[in-house]
Amino acid sequence: MTTVLTPPTESGSHKEPPPLKPPPRRIGRWVLFGAMIVVAVIMLYPFFVMGVTSLKSESQFLSGGGFSWLSWSSLTSVIPVGQEVLSSTIVCSSSIFIILCVGLPAGFAFSKLRFRLSTVVFLVIVSAMMVPLQAILMPEFVNVTKLGLTGGYTGAILVYAALGTPFSVFLFTTYFRGVPDELIEAGIVDGLGYFGALWRLVLPIAVPAIATVTVLQFIQIWDDLLVGLLFIQNTSDRPITVGLAVLAAGRTTSIPELMAGSIISALPAMLVYLGFQRYLVKGLTMGIDR
Amino acid sequence: MSTTVTTTAAPVFAPKVRRMTLKRRRQFAGVVFALPAIALVVCFIGIPIGQAVYYSFTQWNGATSTWIGPSTWTQAFHNTNLWTALRNNGLLLLTVPFALALPLGIAVLLHQRVAGWRIFRSIYFLPTAISWVVLGLVAERFFAYQGTLNSIIHALGFSHVSTNMLGYQSEALIALGITFIFTMIGTNTMLFLTGLATLDPSLEEAARIDGAGRWRIFRSITLPHLSRFVQLAFVMTVIALFSALFSLIFVMTGGGPGYATTTMEFLIYETGFNQGDFGTAALYGLILFVITGIVGVVQLRLIGSNE
Repeated sequence: MTTVLTPPTESGSHKEPPPLKPPPRRIGRWVLFGAMIVVAVIMLYPFFVMGVTSLKSESQFLSGGGFSWLSWSSLTSVIPVGQEVLSSTIVCSSSIFIILCVGLPAGFAFSKLRFRLSTVVFLVIVSAMMVPLQAILMPEFVNVTKLGLTGGYTGAILVYAALGTPFSVFLFTTYFRGVPDELIEAGIVDGLGYFGALWRLVLPIAVPAIATVTVLQFIQIWDDLLVGLLFIQNTSDRPITVGLAVLAAGRTTSIPELMAGSIISALPAMLVYLGFQRYLVKGLTMGIDR
Repeated sequence: MSTTVTTTAAPVFAPKVRRMTLKRRRQFAGVVFALPAIALVVCFIGIPIGQAVYYSFTQWNGATSTWIGPSTWTQAFHNTNLWTALRNNGLLLLTVPFALALPLGIAVLLHQRVAGWRIFRSIYFLPTAISWVVLGLVAERFFAYQGTLNSIIHALGFSHVSTNMLGYQSEALIALGITFIFTMIGTNTMLFLTGLATLDPSLEEAARIDGAGRWRIFRSITLPHLSRFVQLAFVMTVIALFSALFSLIFVMTGGGPGYATTTMEFLIYETGFNQGDFGTAALYGLILFVITGIVGVVQLRLIGSNE
C-alpha cells in the first residue's frame, strides 16, 4: 500500500483514482495497525495452543516445561487418524456429489423450466434450510436405523446430502436466474434436448456456483459432529471430527495427543478455505447481493 | 404458468401446437429435474417433521411407541430440565450483541486497508474453517484450572485468584458464551466486510468534506448502509445459537455441571440418547423447530424484501 508512505493531503486526491478511504494521520495508522495485531493474536490463539501443546509429552504438558515429538509419534496408536481422515473424505465427497447432482438440475428447473406450483415447491425447499437437524433428530435416527443404513457410511451421507440440498437448490436457482433465458432456449431449439442443455450449457456456466456449494459444504460436513456421531455406528468408521470429540469428551486421552489430532483434522478444511476464500464469502452473502 | 393456449395469438395453426407441446415438454423436464431434490428433502426433512408431531404424543423408546395424547405436552412443560434449557438459550442470547459488535469493529478496522490488510483478513477468518469441536477443545484448555486464563490472571499479578469457570454452575455458561462469540467472529466479520465493500467511498468522502467526524460518518452513512448485513448476521447468529452449539457443549462441558450448560439442542440429544426417552426428545425437537421457524420467517422476509 503506497498510501502509507505518501504524506496525507486533504485535496490532492481528486485526479488519481479515488482511494477507498481518506488516508488518516500517521499516528492513527499505527494505532490501527496495533489493534489489528491484537485481533490477529486472538484469532491465532487456537492454532498457537494446538501447535505448542502437541509438541509436548504428557508429562511435559503437566509440568509445563520442555518439548518433544512424543505425542506425534504415538498419535496413530491412540487416534486412528489415517482411517478417520479416510472416513471423513468418503463421507464428505459422497455427500457433496449427491448435493450437486440433485441441486444443480433442481436449480435449473426452478429458474428456467418452471412448472405448475414450482414457486411454491421452491419456497418449501428453501424453508427446509431453517430446520435444524436436532428438531427432527429422533424420527430421523429411528428411520435411518430401521432402514439399516447406519452400518456403513450410507446413512450419514444421505442425511448430510438432505441437509445440504435446500441451500444448494437456493444457490443454484438464484445463480441461474442471472443467466439469460435465450441462451438455454437457443440450445434447446438447436436440438440439444433438456438433458443435453443441462449437461452442455448449464453445467459449464455453473462452475462458480458449483465451487461455492462444494467449499461451503466441505467445511460444514468435515467439521460436523452430530450426524457422524449418531448415523455411523461402527466406531472404526468414524470421521476424524467425531473421533476427536468422543475422545475429548471421554477425558482420558492425553491433551497433547488430542491437539495433534486436532491439527490433522483442521488442516484440510484450512487449506480448502485458504484456497477458495472468495467462494466462501460469495456463498455466505448469497441472497443479499448478487 | 397458465395452461390456456387461447391467449397466445398464433397466426398459423402448426406453430401453435408446436409451442404448446414445447411448453409441456419443458414443464415435464422441470418436474423431472426437480424431483430428486424434492424426494430427498421430503424423505429426510419433511416426513420426520410429521413423525415428530405424532411421536410427541406418545411414549416412545425408539422401538415401540404407545399413544398417550396431549398430556405428554403438559407433562413436558412441567419438566424443569426444559425450562433450564430454555433459560440457558435465553441467557446465551445476551451474547448476540457482542457477536455482532466485535465483528463490526473488526470489519471497520480491516476496511481502513492499512498495510497488509489482506493477510490480516485471512488470519481473522482462519478459525472459521476449523471445527467447533476443535475450537471447543481449545476453549476447554483456555478455561481449565491449569489453563491459559489462569496463567494470564497470575501474570497480571493476581496470583491468589484462580478461576475454574467450566467447573461451576454459575460460570460455565459464561465460558460457553464467550467461546460462542469467538466462533462467530470470522463469519460475521466476513459478512460485514462484504457489506462495507459495497459502500460507495465517495459518500463518505463527501461527508468528510462537509466536516462530518468519523463517528458521525459511521453512524449516519456506514451503519445504515450495513443494516441489511447486520440483520442477516443477526439471524444467522441466533440460528447458530439454537442449532450449532452441540459440538462446543459436547466437548467442553457435556451439558454440565448439572444442566448448567444444557441448551435446547443438547437437551434433545441428552433426553433421547442418554435417557432413552425418544418421545419427549421428539417433543423438545418440535419446540426447537417452532423457535427456529420464527427466526426463519424473519430471514425469509429479509431475503424476500431484497427481490
